[in-house]
Amino acid sequence: MSHAILHASGLSKSFGATTALAGLDLAVEEGESLAIMGASGSGKTTLLHVLAGITAPDTGRVSFASPSGPLEITGLGEQERSRLRREAFGFVFQSGLLIPELTAIENVALALMLTGASRAESEREAATWLATLGLAGMETRRIGQLSGGQAQRVAIARALVTGARVIFADEPTGALDSHTGHDVMDALLASTVGQGRTLVVVTHDAEVASRCSRTVHMRDGVLVDGKVAA
Amino acid sequence: MILRIAWMLARPGTTGAATVALPIVAFATVTALLLTVIGGAQEFFAWSDGDAIIYQAAAVIALVLLVVPLTSLGAAASRLSARRRDDRLATLRLLGASPLTVTVITALESVVVALVGAVGGVAVYLAAAPAVGLIPFRGEALGTAVLLPPLVVLAVLGGVAVLAAASAVLGLRRVIISPLGVRMREDTPRPHWVRVVVAIGVIVATNVVMGIIGAFQMAVILTVLAVGFGGSLLVLNLVGPWVLRIIAGRQAKRAATPERLLAARSILESPKAAWAQVGGVAMTSFMAVFAGSAVGLLEVMGEDGENPFLYGDIRTGVIITVVASFLMVACSVGVNQAAAILDRADLYASLAKLGMPVGTMERARRRTVMSPLRTTAIGSAVIAAVVVFPLTGATILFAPLSLVMIALVLAAGIALVWLGLRATRPVLERAAQLA
Repeated sequence: MSHAILHASGLSKSFGATTALAGLDLAVEEGESLAIMGASGSGKTTLLHVLAGITAPDTGRVSFASPSGPLEITGLGEQERSRLRREAFGFVFQSGLLIPELTAIENVALALMLTGASRAESEREAATWLATLGLAGMETRRIGQLSGGQAQRVAIARALVTGARVIFADEPTGALDSHTGHDVMDALLASTVGQGRTLVVVTHDAEVASRCSRTVHMRDGVLVDGKVAA
Repeated sequence: MILRIAWMLARPGTTGAATVALPIVAFATVTALLLTVIGGAQEFFAWSDGDAIIYQAAAVIALVLLVVPLTSLGAAASRLSARRRDDRLATLRLLGASPLTVTVITALESVVVALVGAVGGVAVYLAAAPAVGLIPFRGEALGTAVLLPPLVVLAVLGGVAVLAAASAVLGLRRVIISPLGVRMREDTPRPHWVRVVVAIGVIVATNVVMGIIGAFQMAVILTVLAVGFGGSLLVLNLVGPWVLRIIAGRQAKRAATPERLLAARSILESPKAAWAQVGGVAMTSFMAVFAGSAVGLLEVMGEDGENPFLYGDIRTGVIITVVASFLMVACSVGVNQAAAILDRADLYASLAKLGMPVGTMERARRRTVMSPLRTTAIGSAVIAAVVVFPLTGATILFAPLSLVMIALVLAAGIALVWLGLRATRPVLERAAQLA
């Protein structure tokens, strides 16, 4: 029996004359770590954006198994999709994209404050996550005072602090050296699938993909194969 | 070759019409104000009686208040140009164009934008001339006296272009255009002192001109005025950022919502930059309360025997100066904010991906400008009231309407800046949509 937390069917998306998705179907199982690989322009980032409700597809649908029942993301308006992203999903980008003027703890707490939590409660939760990710004692440092790997851990904490069930990561180790990238991937896997969450990673890096439980490859807007890691 | 490349780069980009329209509107407003004030001033400088010096000094102060923000506007416009052509300029660098070539192209674009705006400003000035001509000084409407000879208008156009070019080159010192993209140069100090130098330069130049035409006594008085005015500007520029930092620090500690936290931290990131946007209002606000209370009280005490219109005229001048100053700040804020949004377009796009509503980003941005503006305008007004307390105390008792009018004009000015800020919302929405 399938336990898909995200289910996409017949997804198509074009940008002008460029076809990014061409009738793609995909199911993401709850608790799995899925790597999406492919050459530049194959449509993997567009797929991630459509799955996360950032971009609306031209055709097709994406449904999310929310705690309150199945929810068709593609049928939601912009505001509802924004709220879904704030409350149910977390994001880790290649270059962190943290707010440079905020401290580490404020960057993490901000995500929770956006859901309506108080600042004190948000900072308590943020401190717990930062400690879990090995950043205890660095709460009041600003992003510019952290190394690339530390900043990426802050980004992971920000993605998790709201209790997100699905974490989307776009080239999370792309801006890091291989050693730091390996450590960041350890932290990402341990704090997501290690705690029953679902992880969807877009990557060029075969090493990153090999650490996920499943890898799919994309070419010209469609999946060309799929394999389950041993 | 540079002209050809600049023309190729002038094609529409992805940042929307607002990023081109804002600097054009800003330069149009500045030019129209500049021409109007010079138009009024030429009438004052034709007078030679005892009171003429007061009118002439007031005109010079108004001109300084206009020229100073014009330079920061030029710098902001050039930053905006660089940001708007972000990818294209970086590609040029990749293709081997030198930093000088890229700087010249960007400055050239700023000058063209400034000139287009300035020509529009001439049209606005001419269209507004009949209404401006109705403003009475010494009991008579200015009439056609506000119309300047074509040569003077051309000189102002040239001056705006030169100032735009100069401030573009200065403004670009804060931007790195490398083959890897356009980004802010974090460690370059912002050239605050340039404003004071320009202010003093304008006054000295006026003095020289006056000296040449033989008005030596007035030149001395204006020099004293310039030193006092320039000195006050310098002190305000030193103290202002410090005050903003203290207030923002407290706000950051107490912030209970994302927008309050973001706004306070943005100000703390660079109190000098926050001050640069709104600092012009400090002097105006200070002057408005000082002159407003004095004039209000003098009016109640009785007319000046020789010139029964003097006090009313000074009040008219103060109101015009306050409105013009806020208009300048509104223009400067509009252009600066458009550039700031493009500077951080990736961040805004990522925040939109995280689910942060554009409304929250907008409120944070608004607070980043409006909070220092309120602090500056109200703080300076209160300081002025305290400094000349016996005067303001008496005015509160005997001529309260005068202070109410100044308060209303200050409130209208703050609303004007809010509108300038609001005009940049489409730029933010576009940046967030690029998610």
